[in-house]
Amino acid sequence: MNRVGKGISLVVGVLASAVLMPVAVAQEGPGLEKADSYRFVVVPKVVHPWFDKVNQGAQQAAAAIEAQTGSDVEIQYSAPQSANVAEQNEIIERAIATRPDGLIVDLLDPSGNRTVLNEAQEQGIPVTLFDSINPEGMSLTTIGSDFCEQAEMAANRLIELLDGQGKVAIMMGVPTAPNHAERARCAQAVFDSHDGIEVVATGVDNDDINTAQQQASAIMQANPDLDGWVASDAAGPVGIGQAIKEADKVGKVQMVGLDDLNQMLVLIKDGVADSSSASRPTMQGYWAVMAMWQQATGAITPSHIDTGNVMITPDNVDEFME
Amino acid sequence: MLRKAMGFMVSNPLSGVVGVLAVIVVVASLLSENFLNSYNLVIIARSLAFIGIITIAQSMLMILGELDLSLGAIGGFCGVIGGILMVKLGLNPWLAFALCLAIGALFGLVNGLLVTLLRLPSLVLTIGMAGVYGGLNLVITKGVAITGIPADIGFLGSGKWLGLPVPFWIMLLFLVVGCFLTLKTPFGRYMYAVGSNLPAAKMLGIRTDRVRVGVFAFAGFLAALAGMLMVARLGSAQPSIGDSWVLAPIAAAVIGGVPTTGGIGTPLGAIFGAAIIGVIENIIVLLGVSPYWQSMVSGAIVVIAISLDSISRRYFKRD
Repeated sequence: MNRVGKGISLVVGVLASAVLMPVAVAQEGPGLEKADSYRFVVVPKVVHPWFDKVNQGAQQAAAAIEAQTGSDVEIQYSAPQSANVAEQNEIIERAIATRPDGLIVDLLDPSGNRTVLNEAQEQGIPVTLFDSINPEGMSLTTIGSDFCEQAEMAANRLIELLDGQGKVAIMMGVPTAPNHAERARCAQAVFDSHDGIEVVATGVDNDDINTAQQQASAIMQANPDLDGWVASDAAGPVGIGQAIKEADKVGKVQMVGLDDLNQMLVLIKDGVADSSSASRPTMQGYWAVMAMWQQATGAITPSHIDTGNVMITPDNVDEFME
Repeated sequence: MLRKAMGFMVSNPLSGVVGVLAVIVVVASLLSENFLNSYNLVIIARSLAFIGIITIAQSMLMILGELDLSLGAIGGFCGVIGGILMVKLGLNPWLAFALCLAIGALFGLVNGLLVTLLRLPSLVLTIGMAGVYGGLNLVITKGVAITGIPADIGFLGSGKWLGLPVPFWIMLLFLVVGCFLTLKTPFGRYMYAVGSNLPAAKMLGIRTDRVRVGVFAFAGFLAALAGMLMVARLGSAQPSIGDSWVLAPIAAAVIGGVPTTGGIGTPLGAIFGAAIIGVIENIIVLLGVSPYWQSMVSGAIVVIAISLDSISRRYFKRD
């Protein structure tokens, strides 16, 4: 080959490299890594029907990824038996020991969970949070809805039902759970901004239906002129609804519930509750797995995915019934 | 050879529980490849540390024939007091830590005095006191965790020494103290005498109330220690600390050969019992057992472990 030919070859080679190089880089770029199987561990706050819906969503996402990619996706659901930070940390640590491809966690308390989340990251295990906020100084992807907006929707709906006048009560869930506390705080703020509304009592149900029923019964005994209820956790409105029925106050005491447990939906259908301001646990589980899978493929996921809130009323309740 | 081994098992009260633990460890390591990895062994050790400290306290009370169901609540309340002293009042963390241990001992002392002076059953009294300490905890915190615990004491909860978690070493230290106290001192002999037969111990001139109050105070001290170590571990004072320290230490002590009727057993046996429960809880999660089945599976294995130990003892004694 003469000098000209060599020069042409060199130019063609350089041009070819320039054209092919982006392809080679793209194959190693974000979202292009592929594995035959993935295993993600979901750690909720506690064993609870609301988190079963999260698990359902997670399983749906796993099935969708399997159908679209052919990779096996296993979801391991590992829930603490009680809403206790130390117990949840132990569950997370045990999950880390199994070397999963990702951890999906609903934090009981961001400050108390922070140490084990750092441990997960030190072990090279990606973490995605759902239904909770980032611990201070961490920037993990979070999936969920705006807790304050959800509580405000419920409080405003109750004010509308009462025509802006009346005595109301708030049922708190677990006082140490940030999302429950935030909902209670935001509902209180909405009520405080309306002169005609007076908050006469606040109950604490620790996210337990029986406790909610006992608390609601006692509060309605002590406040016979109570006009309405809102709640800060999913178990609360179910217990309140039972207490309203027992006290024969259906239609006399209004309730705007929270979330979409089946018992809550039945209360709406039966006319015990007017409506429910619901987050979307199934969607949270679904998108948490999707985010985790995307991270496993090397993609960078958004800092927050908002799954939104929806008001469930007698008009649309059937869409949510299982 | 086999008879010799069995004879050793019967003559050594710890051999049964150690044997059961060994079997469970072998089975666990066969069932899960992750069980014996170093990270998992560290988390088992750390988990055992916290529940182990309460188990030492509860087993010493059980040797007396007493129970203190408020130890978890004392631990949680002392943790919260520690958080307030360190974060809200700006006290030196080490001083706050020491103060909380003293406060824990004081709570234990109060329990002991109420049991001995009012002649109340410790089981019933401490259920009530658990409500008092737990209630005060919620009144002070309103259920909200105290964050911003100084990093100075973080090492006590999260640090490692010679590859093992610091809380585990602290638990071992107090296990040695507990065993020395119960097995090698006159005070320990008085404990067994009180637990075996209280009226007889009184007739022998043992100041039984002093012994009982002393052990209650020591148990309160250990509960506060566990609570403060958990605060150091979490980096925050959680009102829920201690909620799960009520039944597991009693079960651990019973598995380890310390009956609730008193008079026999050692804190060392109780720690082996706690280790059995800890390993079972660990392997259940490693194997991905459904959370709805976990309590049942864990409980059933504990019952099987106790039964095997008891049956084998009876069988070989008779033989």
